[in-house]
Amino acid sequence: MSREGLEAQRNYPLNKKVREYFWGGWCMQALWNYERQMNTAFMWGISKTLDRLYPKPEEDEKKKERYRSALEFFNITPQFGAFVLGLTAAMEEEYAENPDTFDPNMIKSVKVALMGPLSGVGDSLFQGTVRVIAMSIGVSLAQNGSILGPILAMLISFGVSFPITWYGAKLGYLNGQKFLSQIANSNLMDKIMFGCSVAGLMVIGGMVASLVTITTPLAYGETLILQEVLDGILPKMIPLALTGIMYFLVKKGVKPMVVIISCFFVGIILNYFGILAI
Amino acid sequence: MLQAILIGLVAVFMVLDSRLLGRLNFERPLITCTLVGIIMGDLKTGLLVGAQMEMITLGMMSIGASGVDMNIGSITGCALVISSGASIETALTIAVPMTLLDQLLTTVADIIRIQLCHTCDNYVEKSQYAKARRVHILYGPIVYSVFKFIPVFLAVYFGNDLITAIVNAVPDYIMNGVSLGANLISFFGFAMLLSTMINAKNCIYFFLGFAIAAYSGLGLTAIAVISIIVAIVLYQLKFGDGAKLQTAGPSDDYDELEDDLD
Repeated sequence: MSREGLEAQRNYPLNKKVREYFWGGWCMQALWNYERQMNTAFMWGISKTLDRLYPKPEEDEKKKERYRSALEFFNITPQFGAFVLGLTAAMEEEYAENPDTFDPNMIKSVKVALMGPLSGVGDSLFQGTVRVIAMSIGVSLAQNGSILGPILAMLISFGVSFPITWYGAKLGYLNGQKFLSQIANSNLMDKIMFGCSVAGLMVIGGMVASLVTITTPLAYGETLILQEVLDGILPKMIPLALTGIMYFLVKKGVKPMVVIISCFFVGIILNYFGILAI
Repeated sequence: MLQAILIGLVAVFMVLDSRLLGRLNFERPLITCTLVGIIMGDLKTGLLVGAQMEMITLGMMSIGASGVDMNIGSITGCALVISSGASIETALTIAVPMTLLDQLLTTVADIIRIQLCHTCDNYVEKSQYAKARRVHILYGPIVYSVFKFIPVFLAVYFGNDLITAIVNAVPDYIMNGVSLGANLISFFGFAMLLSTMINAKNCIYFFLGFAIAAYSGLGLTAIAVISIIVAIVLYQLKFGDGAKLQTAGPSDDYDELEDDLD
């Protein structure tokens, strides 16, 4: 039925197709909504593919059905969205080729199955690790007044995000299903998570020790200066303790804005009585 | 006037980073405040406010719907600090109410976007695919942009006198206390960041990073490089050639996969 469309899709230059999935990924949140989250984005990313696959007016019903399917609930880390779009496009081709034998529910179930795990890895990679490393380097330079700080932070973020999105789209389209079965066999997700958590946590530890200064001016006469005693045991002990207290509050589920506003008052009080200082 | 419009456009740039560029971190205060600094001709203050706000908000991730971000507040705070000549820490005290206002407006925008999602469905039902596409790629970003531009523009245009008056009226010890409070909030940011990654098994890496930085006094760039090296070394010890000898079976698949990734 749709031989023509299939030819058109297969003969369309690979790089142009990959570019569509790439931008589909990066634009994943352009119409984020509470009802189906990134559904329109998924439709937008795959729509050109569907248009090519079903070009004739008599195929419009089929095309509409595929559009509807693309508009179902979707959510993913944008950079990995390109991979899913590429993979889905390859499956749509397969469906257009064998409409009788290929079950279109396969496409839906692959999409749904990928959302959770890919978002988990994606968020811990991009938000938890790349962002933390890029920004902590950026901040430490910017604190000294160097414009290199923000520039470097941008370069690091772009340098990781761009190739992963681009090659993700390509890999998804050309080799997606094979790749998925290999991931399942090799626990690749767990391995990436492990690497991310080691690097991310070490940098956060470094941030606690070096980014923010808080000391205590408390002293007993000239002889006993509390800060010196503390430094002799473990420098930056106060920042570490504060992180511990705050971690407790986070785990308790205290609302961020409540903590932020309380910190101002606590800060004013502690500063006034000379307990803590910058 | 022109400056206020330009600052408003920085807010648009901020929101479009995560909408159209897959969140390249250009939305972060470190970047946007630098831009504000350039626009207002005070790059140094822009950098310092950016660094300060970045530290405080580093842990505040906005994944999907959850979480709070101070990106709008940082832009406004930075612009008003530069125009009123207040201290850097004042930026945070401006950012907090601005963030609350932003959350309120965001709720309105959320409702509009649900409507747009239905508009998109309707166009597809009528086989008007090009229009459905346009709803996503054009109307969505426009809604986001308008709702970020307007509050920032108004705050920057009208806020200057107000901020100057407040800063002059508040005594020094309060301002110093606020600065201390700002630093305290940074630790809340770190703790939020930690809570998404840490568990009993891997918390030792946090302490490793802390101990290296605390005892050596190395900067964060050095810590970042060391941490990446440690991560790779541990990865190789755990999953690399050495580990393969012990578990011969599934590691064959693993090799193919590595080739594919290249």
